[in-house]
This record gives sequence, structure tokens and C-alpha cells, in this order.
Amino acid sequence: MDAPNNSNYAIDVQNLTVGYGSTILMKDLNFSVNNGEIFVILGGSGCGKSSLLKNLFGLYQPLSGDVLIEGQNITASQGAARQKIMTSFGVMYQEGALFGSMNLLDNVTLFMQEYTNLSQAQMDLLARCKLDLVGLLPYESYMPSEISGGMQKRAAIARAMALDPKILFLDEPSAGLDPITSADLDRTILDLSKNLGITFVIVSHELASIYAIADKVIMLDKQAKGIIAEGDPKVLRDTSTDPRVHQFFNRIMSKDVA
Amino acid sequence: MPMNPDSSTGNPSIAKWEQSDSETAKVVITGKVDVYSLADVWTRIRAQQDTWLKTSGKHNLIFDASAISSFDGAGIAFLIDLEKMQQAAGGTFSIVGLDPRYQPLLKEFDPISNLFPAPVVKPHRSFVVSTGMAAQNLMDDVRGLVSFTGHLAADLYWSLRNPNQVRWGDFVNAAVQAGIAALPIVGLVAFLIGVILSFQAAIGMQQFGAVSFVGPLAALGIVREMGPLITAILLAGRSSAAFAAEIGTMTVNSEVDALVTGGLSPIRFLVVPRVLAGILVAPILTLYADIVSVIASMLTMLIYGIPFVNFYNGMLSAVSVEDVCSGLIKATLFGVVISAMGCLRGMQTGDGAAAVGISATRAVVSSIVMIVLVDGIFAFISYKTGF
Repeated sequence: MDAPNNSNYAIDVQNLTVGYGSTILMKDLNFSVNNGEIFVILGGSGCGKSSLLKNLFGLYQPLSGDVLIEGQNITASQGAARQKIMTSFGVMYQEGALFGSMNLLDNVTLFMQEYTNLSQAQMDLLARCKLDLVGLLPYESYMPSEISGGMQKRAAIARAMALDPKILFLDEPSAGLDPITSADLDRTILDLSKNLGITFVIVSHELASIYAIADKVIMLDKQAKGIIAEGDPKVLRDTSTDPRVHQFFNRIMSKDVA
Repeated sequence: MPMNPDSSTGNPSIAKWEQSDSETAKVVITGKVDVYSLADVWTRIRAQQDTWLKTSGKHNLIFDASAISSFDGAGIAFLIDLEKMQQAAGGTFSIVGLDPRYQPLLKEFDPISNLFPAPVVKPHRSFVVSTGMAAQNLMDDVRGLVSFTGHLAADLYWSLRNPNQVRWGDFVNAAVQAGIAALPIVGLVAFLIGVILSFQAAIGMQQFGAVSFVGPLAALGIVREMGPLITAILLAGRSSAAFAAEIGTMTVNSEVDALVTGGLSPIRFLVVPRVLAGILVAPILTLYADIVSVIASMLTMLIYGIPFVNFYNGMLSAVSVEDVCSGLIKATLFGVVISAMGCLRGMQTGDGAAAVGISATRAVVSSIVMIVLVDGIFAFISYKTGF
């Protein structure tokens, strides 16, 4: 949109190999995420979606390959340069990972306190805006343990958005949410993507949500150790000839596949 | 100092406060508006707005966003803050030139008064109420302790009747962690205590020419009091805290609830193996501490010219088998209360990571209090009975 970006992509993944030690989960992945796109990573349980995500935002070091975030190579960067890349995106973890000793408002303002010069009142207002976006404004003084799991997830999204990052990584945001809250969350994601140009990288299983929001999906497979399908989810559902892709999008039980 | 990751890129926002007449003011913002660039702008413009709003007359504020190159959630919060102040002072607020794509986001926060909740007033508690609540908490704690002791006694008895139902794997793990792993630190502290005790005594006794009595004196003190006590305090610091942290984390993760709903008694499943490990480990560690401490004392007395043989004979005349047994029985009781307090505090853990830390702290403090209590009772009994 405006930041100097010598790459056209929000995220560019080049020959990425994901794994632990000698165990390789994904081999030679190549894909890119456009600016402002809602990009969804799909795949069966245990195929390495969350591991891939953690490699993308630099929590784990990939076995080989590079991840470029807004043109900056996060894999090769260190120190202050790496920290600068780290503040350009927000992350929501699968379990929420809210700080248990702080209430929701403090959870959201924590990173603002570290990275901005705003006054406490300004940070509180900004944090309330974020909590309002995920529908948690009345719960600002609750501790994470006092709210439900779905609310914790939404609070974690609010915290990830605290510094208005250009990119948001969400690990299974709508899993465990009721259909109405889930639809509200989809609406919020679409609004943020369209109006603020935020890029979303989402790991999700919720087909309804995927059809509603995803611009592009990639589907990972455990046996193939790579991407087996890429594109618009509706198109993949209707036209893919790959039995694994067909099975996933049409919710066919594994024993029914010949 | 807070770092500003975006200071080097883009053109940071510049805000101007323009006032055409006393009733109309205009905020013109240019450039890139984000959470980093906004900090100083926000404070400065709001200060000017406050000064202006204090003057009499009408107040019409116009926000000119036509020169903004990019805008985000922080910018929206800034707009909302300005609008709120206008509303509070009875003035008007209008936005011109804002890119229409930001309008839906602004609408999300309508009405903005929700974003400014009334400050929460903490209810004031009188001294009487606080005292009453503290007394109530103490009562609850004592009640919890009594009920836990009862459950534990019943389940220990049950385990004696059904020894093959005890989780011996957990017992072995706990015994290794609390016992064998504690040998170096117990040895180190016991050695130090042995040296200090005999050295300090020797300095005093030397004046009376009674250095030869230091050995028996130190040895008696070690086997009856110091050995059991230092072992117990080290066990409280190491194992009681470890039990509380482990069971506390299990409580936080609902693992203890899963045991209950699965029809298993958490006390039988978690506490009994650990208490049995404490019963086994505490006297053995105490015996080890006694030996190390006495050897340290022997070595110290060598400096004062007391040969090993003399020390040994003096010790035999002063220390009886009953003295050693008395220390070991006391150590066994210490083992029970240390393990039990660790497990109890673990099971009383609240929510979140901080609660586990609190439980571990409470476990150590409660264990040491119980050690002192048991030691006092034991001293009273042995004074009365001569054992």
C-alpha cells in the first residue's frame, strides 16, 4: 500500500523446508501471499500447518529456504532488524496464549506500552477499540481464566491487532466458536482486509468460514509433504480432480474413498 | 526507551491546528497515520482542543483527512477521542475528506460512548469486614487442611490394604527426584553445618580446656536436631515446591478434574505415591546428612588436635542408638508433612500460570511452618517421656 516494499508480496516463501531435526514435515514449499489478501492454509490434522505457520512468522527456524515478509528476509535476519520485522505482524496462537496474570485490557495494551509513546489513556482507548472489534468490550476487566475459550481466542485476535500490523497470522481462529460469533469474526476479518488492507494468513478447518473469507487457499498433505492444491476454495471444491482435495472440500469420510 | 520500528520509513504524520475564528477550529493531518507516528500528534492536538474548549461560545471542530496517505485503527481511535471531547463540551465534530473505505470501520464503534466506560470504583472495605474475611479465610484453610488430612489418612490406609493398587511408578519417580537427586545439596549443607557447629563450639570450649567434649556435643546435636532439620528444610525447598508446581499445573490444565470425572481419587492417585516417597526418602537422607555432618565435625576437631579415635569414643559415650532413632522418626514425620503440604497446595491452585507460582511458594512456607510445629511437639514429647 505505502511502505517501501521491494517485493510485490506481503509474504513470499521460497523453497521452504519445515520440520524438526531429521523429521521433515514439508519439503520445498513455494508460495506467495499478496498484499491485502486473505490466505488460508488447509490440511488434515497433524500435517504440519501450525509448524508451517510458526516458520512463517519466525518462531521456528526453517530447515532450509527463506521467508520474505514485505520483502525482508526474516529467516536470515537477526537482532534489531529481526525485531523490526517481528513488529510488522501480529500473531494469534491456537490456544489464545493470553497472559494469565493480566486482564484483557492489559493484555492488549502490553505491546503498545513497549513500542509506542502513547499515554495510558490513549492506549486504553485504542485497546478498547480492538476489544470492541471482536465484541469483547464489556469484558475488558476480566482475567483470561474468567472467560470462555472462544472469548479467549477473540481476545487474542484483539491483542494481535494491537499495533495495527499489516499482516495478521491466525491459527485456527474460528475453531470452537459458535456459528454466530464465527460469522461475526469472518465479517470483522473481511472488513479489516478490505478497509485497512491487512493481509491475513489463517490456518483453518471451518469450511463455511473458508468459503466466506478466503481469497486463496493452499492445501497441504502429509504424505506428499507439500502443497497439493492452490487457488480459490470454491473453484477447488467444484473443479478439483484430485481425490484428496475433493474429499476434504466435500467432507467425505475416509473409508468411503475407494 | 520505546523503539519506533517505522521511524525510518514513510512520511510520518504531521498535524496542524488551524483556527479561523473562536467558534471553528480545524485539524489538518497529512501523511501516514499509525500507532507509532501518532503518539506526539495525539497528545499535542488534544491539549490544544482542551484549551480551546475551555473558552466560552460554540465549538465546531472539523477534522480534515484529505491529505492522509494511510490510516489505521490508531487513527480511528484518535478521531473517536476528539469526537468524545467535543460531545462532552457540547460542541460539534465533523470529518471531511476521509477515504470512504474507512467509513465502515468508524461505524463499527457507534455509539462511541461505549468506549469510555465510567471508571470502576473499588468498594471500600472497613477494618471489621477485612478482619472478618481474613478470619474466614483462615477457617477455610484449616478446614481444608483437616479434610485433606482425613482423606489422606483414609487413602494411605487403603493403600496399605491394597498395595498392588498403588502407583509404584510414580512413587519411584518421586523418590528418585526427592531423594537421590537431593544427595549433593544435602551433603553440601550437612558438611557445612558439621564444620560450623564444631568450630564455633571449639572456640568457646577452648577457654575452659574442654575441647575434647566438643565432639560428643556436636554429634548429639547433629543426630537429634540438626540432621533432621536441615534435611527437612532442604526437602521443603526442593520437593514440596516441585510437588506443588507439578500438581498445580495439572490442576490448571483440568487434569485433576479429569481424574475425578474418571472416578479416580486424586489423593490416591497423586498424593499417596508422593507421601510414601517422602516417608521413604526423608529418614534415609537424614541418616546420610548425620553421617556427613559427623565426618565434617571429626575433620574439624582434627585441627584442634583431637584424633579420630578419641572423637569416636567420646561420641559413642554420648550418643545412643535411641538418639539416632529419635532423629530418624522425627525425619519420617517431616517427610510426611512436607510431601502432604506440597500436594495440598498444588491441589488448591487457582487459575493461570501465576497461581502455580503462588502454590509453590505457599507449599514451601506451609511445609516449614509444619516442620517447626512437628519439631516442637516432638521436643515436648521427648522431654516428658525421656525418649
